[in-house]
Amino acid sequence: MGGLFLALVLLHFFLHVGLGLRGEAPDLALVALLLAAREVGPGWGGGVGLALGLLEDSLSVLAFGANALALTLAGILGGRTRDLFVGDSLRFLFGYVALGKLLRDFVHWLAVGEDLREPFLVAVLIRGSAGALYAALVGVVVAYPFLRRKRLL
Amino acid sequence: MPWNQVPLEDASRRRSLHLDFFWLLLSAVLLYLPAEAQALLAGAVRFTLLRPFLEVQAGVVRVRVLMEETTRIQARMDSLAALVVAQGTVEEENRRLRALLGVSPAMRVGFVPARVVRPGTPGSESVFLLDVGRQHGVSAGDPVVMREGRIGLAGLVREVSRSSAVGIDWSHPDFRASAMTWDGKVFGLVEPVRGTFREEDRLLLNGVPFYERVDPGTLIVTSGLGGVFPRGIPIGTVQELAEEEGGWRKSYWLRPLVQPGSLVHVLVLREDPLARRLLEDLLRADSAVSADTLPPAPMGSAGPEGSPGGGGV
Repeated sequence: MGGLFLALVLLHFFLHVGLGLRGEAPDLALVALLLAAREVGPGWGGGVGLALGLLEDSLSVLAFGANALALTLAGILGGRTRDLFVGDSLRFLFGYVALGKLLRDFVHWLAVGEDLREPFLVAVLIRGSAGALYAALVGVVVAYPFLRRKRLL
Repeated sequence: MPWNQVPLEDASRRRSLHLDFFWLLLSAVLLYLPAEAQALLAGAVRFTLLRPFLEVQAGVVRVRVLMEETTRIQARMDSLAALVVAQGTVEEENRRLRALLGVSPAMRVGFVPARVVRPGTPGSESVFLLDVGRQHGVSAGDPVVMREGRIGLAGLVREVSRSSAVGIDWSHPDFRASAMTWDGKVFGLVEPVRGTFREEDRLLLNGVPFYERVDPGTLIVTSGLGGVFPRGIPIGTVQELAEEEGGWRKSYWLRPLVQPGSLVHVLVLREDPLARRLLEDLLRADSAVSADTLPPAPMGSAGPEGSPGGGGV
């Protein structure tokens, strides 16, 4: 799991920072965080989210801290889901990542402040939903071999 | 179990709750840190953990620029050579006229060519990184221009480190520029207006006196009054009247000369103490001389780094 997490995070920053892609590349950092949060459990998901958020915030001039807050919250709630849901089906994973991405975009939208944010409809409902489906799909594809091996074991 | 001993599961749950609270508190602290501390922290992360990724993008941009620009530069060089030959006497004539009018020499501005690196992470919209920094003479507040058909204002530098800088383009909510029509007759303030989608972001020339009329197609340039941009950098052309407010003020939509999405290779106008002094002299002298001697494309003769650029007047 540690290898998968590291690979997803490196790929995320390669695509978004190295190649400068925006919506064309999925939010792999969030996928990595949500998968890791269920592994490390409550207490540490927030820390992982904070570290990833800080990396993303270092490239934002006026909305510093917004990504850190959004990913910390996603990590905390992701870790908590382990107490609430034991499911590791693909359907559960799809919903889990999609909801996590929507929550992340919503918190980020709130935290960037009124002057910087785009309309709610565009930023969260339209772009956020599309991003959530994209991330969920990629999350399922990425986690499928991992879940399968886990079940076999 | 003794009465004062907490069950292991409860203790673990409590510890994880405390940890969650701690991370949340830490992220909230980051959000409300003073801007200087945030910039310091962001810079440290950029120059350590994200450095390899930023270098990858700098490399990608370098290759793209090399591929795209070669033929364009060749064509530009040919047309510039033709222009220089055709306007050989203009400089001499201008110098003589300035001497006759008692106007100081035009301001010389140094240019630093730079490559633009665009991070694709949330919250970094309207922000770009430059591969030049303090060691190249770049400082915070320096204007960033780009040639897209003609030289136009793209944005400005916000933070500078030793070898790189962070800038904002004109679509950033903090962007403002004191502006005027190219003939210096009408003044106003240029600011961005958010569209429903980022692609719909536009520039607005605000605060134009009600009795003034600006025709569509008029070139709007920086006025130099705000103290941030030197006078004479083209911003855009007037598109249409946006609003007439209460019979005392008008605003106009502008068509920007530079589209933020096309920023790849830019020029940073360096702040130069000599240039600043000359600008002050010039503004003093200008109070006696009409501003309608301003050429339509004042920054059009941009030269390479260190060479004198076209006058910001």
